[in-house]
Amino acid sequence: MSAFSIEVLLALLGLAIVLAAAFLPAVSQRTLAWTGIAGSVVALLLLCGASHAESSLPAFVAPYYSLDTLSLFYKAFALVITALVLWLIAESDSTLSNYSADGKLGELVGLPLIVCTGMMWMASAKDLVTVFVSLELVTVAFYVLVAYTRKSALSLEAGVKYLILGAAATGVLVFGAAWVYGATGSLSFEGIAKGVQNAAVNKSVLLFGIAFLLAGLGFKVAAAPFHMWVPDVYQGAPTPVTAFLSVGSKASGFIVLTRVIDALLANGSRVTSEVTNLLLISAAITVLLGSLPAIFQTSVKRLLAYSSISHAGFLLLALASRSSARFDITSGGVVAFYLATYLPMTVLAFFVLCVLRRQGIGDSLDELKGLGRRSPLLALLLTIAMASLAGLPLTAGFLGKMLVFVAAVDHGYWGVIGCAVIGAAAGFYYYFKVILAIYTSEGTTEEPVTVSIASKAIATALAAIILILGLYPRPLQKVLAAPAAASVALGK
Amino acid sequence: MSSPLFYIFAAITLLFGAMVIASKNPVTSALSLAVSFVGLAALFVSLDAYFIGTIQVLVYAGAVMVLFLFIIMLLDIKAAEKLKPNYAAVAAAVLLFVVLIMQVAAVLTGFEAGRKSTTDAQLRPQQALVAMGDKALPTIANDLKAGQLPDTKLMGLQLYHKYGFHLQMVGLLLLVGTVGVVVLSKKENSPKGGRE
Repeated sequence: MSAFSIEVLLALLGLAIVLAAAFLPAVSQRTLAWTGIAGSVVALLLLCGASHAESSLPAFVAPYYSLDTLSLFYKAFALVITALVLWLIAESDSTLSNYSADGKLGELVGLPLIVCTGMMWMASAKDLVTVFVSLELVTVAFYVLVAYTRKSALSLEAGVKYLILGAAATGVLVFGAAWVYGATGSLSFEGIAKGVQNAAVNKSVLLFGIAFLLAGLGFKVAAAPFHMWVPDVYQGAPTPVTAFLSVGSKASGFIVLTRVIDALLANGSRVTSEVTNLLLISAAITVLLGSLPAIFQTSVKRLLAYSSISHAGFLLLALASRSSARFDITSGGVVAFYLATYLPMTVLAFFVLCVLRRQGIGDSLDELKGLGRRSPLLALLLTIAMASLAGLPLTAGFLGKMLVFVAAVDHGYWGVIGCAVIGAAAGFYYYFKVILAIYTSEGTTEEPVTVSIASKAIATALAAIILILGLYPRPLQKVLAAPAAASVALGK
Repeated sequence: MSSPLFYIFAAITLLFGAMVIASKNPVTSALSLAVSFVGLAALFVSLDAYFIGTIQVLVYAGAVMVLFLFIIMLLDIKAAEKLKPNYAAVAAAVLLFVVLIMQVAAVLTGFEAGRKSTTDAQLRPQQALVAMGDKALPTIANDLKAGQLPDTKLMGLQLYHKYGFHLQMVGLLLLVGTVGVVVLSKKENSPKGGRE
């Protein structure tokens, strides 16, 4: 079985769930959600066992489809985040169905699987056409998911904002892709990598296209100055969808950015300094515009939105710092590692918010007060998540940030490193503000917060992953070190 | 194509495009947009891109504009006469527009492909056909002499042969869009007793 057939089956499962929700009212929403979770876990297992040879692909797909380590990593990543998001949806079904149009959640459970298929195709994309079509598949499904709880005015507002700004960003992306095609005469990343080395290619046309291309992708990964939509959309969207946007959508944006940047900064590229500067400037302002406003947030969901912007800044810095002699890992590998550490901590934070929401507790810092007494386990999990998001040593978040800093120092990007240090320091302040709130004793009620045993187990496992990755990251780094050889070979 | 026709259609496109923004009556705006699309379609035809020209009229000037008009009339949108322009925003928009136009102009003047005329520009689909080894197929010039519309044929060939995978993906995308429209326009059920 090839990776491609797994993806097709996954999309079909998503459609089957949408149909089942419409025509089999007896099936409960939780059953549907757990079917989806089982489907993505089975797909993950099948992917591990699937043939990784490109010859296993059907002929009409093979020219557009890569199966290198990085794409397999991002495929697995998409499946994991989809399973976790469906778990969050199952966890908060009673809250969400109050706000959906018909009191049901069928599409909210089915569409993430189709989004996952799109993200898996993006991970394998070798050319701009595939990138664009799969990116649109993901984005269009997200427009629906964000506005799904449309009885809530915030969700509707978020949906409209995301739709309009997303459509504009799509236009910018296509415009840029058209110019890059016009300049290099190729839509494939391999051809673009050749084009940027070719002295006959008109440089100003190429740069004009690259600027628009990067702006369109910058919107998808929430990079400044295209980050304006993030706080409102993250706050208004249903919490599981926010987690999906924050981790899944960002990761798939970054795999595409990794491929584009790898092509643009191929050895002998004539636009190296321009593209690197563009990335560095964007990284610096993204970290600052994410971290500094986060200090003033009172809603934890909004705070996580700004935190997500700030993390995008660190990831951009990682992309700009090309592979250094010090590690066996490329900049694409550093980005992948950072995202792998970002996944458990973000999902864990959103899980706590989902559980609290079900108990009628909102997401403002004031309402979190006294959580330490009401549920010591949830408080501990949220503490671990926040500490890791801040980048406290011994957590996974620390190692991710450290890799980025070391790579940047090797290249001597001191100005941007200064901004990143300011951002990280601000992070310590606002993440610890949350921890301080949950252990403040002046809560209004002492009523305990209940969590199901299965959810406790999954959440604890996520926290354990954060700590294990923080102490022993070698296995994951080894997996990601493999693409180093591959992409260096492509550059030459 | 002779240049007078180009200037006439370009002027129509730009003039009615400006009318879309300038007009205060939404129905006038929508109809101006339709005329602007027709001008654009004529420009496409002049570039030998018959297929895009036809689609421009059928899909944009036809279906999409009718939909716009339908919605404008359905929602009974009043003329926006009382709206006061926000001068700061207008100034910023004009500035951005000028910068973008200058950028495009600067780039285009340095771009050799922009100065080529369509007669000596090799069309890529034609190259693709040759690369496929199917040399028996007539070239664009021959088909044009025979009065056929070859670009439709070429586009179909590209779409269904080369980009079959993407076509399937777009199919899934449209399905998701349809599901989304149903979800977001469904009538709201007020929660009844038993539900929750």
